[in-house]
Amino acid sequence: MIHARGVAKHFLTRGARVEALRPVDLDVARGAFVSIIGPSGCGKSTLLRIIAGLETASEGTLTIESAADQRAGFVFQDAVLLPWLSAEENVRFPLDAAGVPRDEGDATARRLLALVGLQGFEKALPRALSGGMRQRVSIARALSYDPPLLLMDEPFGALDLLTRDRLNDELLTIWTATKKTIIFVTHSVEEAAYLSDRVVVMSPRPGSIKKIYDSPLARPRGERTKLDPAFHQLMADLRRDLA
Amino acid sequence: MGRAALRGLTTVLCALAAWQIIVVVFQAPAYLLPSPLVVAQKFSLLAGTGDLGRHVLSTLAEVLAGSLAGAVAGLLCGWLFTRLPVLGRLLSPLILLLQTAPKIAIAPILLLWLGLGLAPKVVLVAIVAFFPVMAGAAAGLAGVDKSYRDLARLLRLSAWTRFRRIDLPFAAPPAFAGLRIASTQAMTAAVVGELMGATYGLGYLLNLGQENNDAGVVIAAILMLCVMGWLLHEGVRLAERRFLGWHESQMAQAQA
Repeated sequence: MIHARGVAKHFLTRGARVEALRPVDLDVARGAFVSIIGPSGCGKSTLLRIIAGLETASEGTLTIESAADQRAGFVFQDAVLLPWLSAEENVRFPLDAAGVPRDEGDATARRLLALVGLQGFEKALPRALSGGMRQRVSIARALSYDPPLLLMDEPFGALDLLTRDRLNDELLTIWTATKKTIIFVTHSVEEAAYLSDRVVVMSPRPGSIKKIYDSPLARPRGERTKLDPAFHQLMADLRRDLA
Repeated sequence: MGRAALRGLTTVLCALAAWQIIVVVFQAPAYLLPSPLVVAQKFSLLAGTGDLGRHVLSTLAEVLAGSLAGAVAGLLCGWLFTRLPVLGRLLSPLILLLQTAPKIAIAPILLLWLGLGLAPKVVLVAIVAFFPVMAGAAAGLAGVDKSYRDLARLLRLSAWTRFRRIDLPFAAPPAFAGLRIASTQAMTAAVVGELMGATYGLGYLLNLGQENNDAGVVIAAILMLCVMGWLLHEGVRLAERRFLGWHESQMAQAQA
């Protein structure tokens, strides 16, 4: 559903041209789970932000097949919740801003909080929630307006490993339940290998796509995946490409 | 009544008793230091004619209207300067210049322009309240993570929605803190304006007492100002707690 052709980004700082992203070609099929992995400063976030419409490409064409008014869902590294709103109000926020009737927004917020495993925490303020729970609220908020495309920028990068593992599994459950197309930026090899249908490896400054792997791993993923030799082979390949 | 309030009341009563004892022991002349009882009599006399109420109301009106105008202007400017940094850079020297001048120095020209009524005092109070609120709002907004700007763009929020639902709540706590600091200065500004020329107000009452060598009236006016200042401070604090509860507890948690 996404076709990027020669998409590149450069900007001017004090008269000097800085290349953030060299021309990249990328296709993402509808319903796919695609990870973009690379070292810091490789332009993976820039690419994601261009797809989100937060930045404009300096060159190339980007086609996203969806209704013209449909926004992408976006999950930041930090939860970026409004600290004065409850979990439920935060999830409902995009709907409120769009003028969706109150009871409809309420129902959606409750359903999504249940989906991310936060039933019973509807009225909690963000500060009363753990980092992992805040990120779940953030995912529910990104899903609230039912975007066909969910963009995630190192969403679990700030969490501890145990929480991260659990949220990875829950993300796969959500992905299966909602049939979203997900583009997931990460610098964790294990995360990329475990979650994805395709892994896009990027090389550092100036960023470009080095290699694209189609995952040989079966679905659904779980404990068995982590024992699969193919999983370890994929991680080894990714590590080698990143080195 | 809470223990703190009881303690406060005890202290005030002790101070009044000490005052009475000093007057009796040192036989202070009544035109210099009248006893609390004499002041109380003056108080009821002034209150009885309705004069005191009129003076209090006019000072209160100046302080409230001025603080509100200053706070709204400060909040808007703080927001505008954050959204349009060029504007901030252009105007901040001017604002700083106005801020460094003692506010009292501005009072005579305001009286010349706006007469002896409420208007010049309201403007003076507004100028005093403006700066700390603006500085607070600007600092609060500058500290907001850039991702919130991205969020607003992703959700395609209108400028007004973004201001109301994101920027304003973030700017409010430091702006309120600025307002709390400004509230005592706002009282000073109103009284200074009245001292320089007025037909009503507690500052006017102070002048009147001084001209008539009536220390009782002066002290009564000062006491009224104390009460008003305290109420104002408490009012702002209560409003802060009511509207910014999420922030206060967050601060408490951060300190713990």
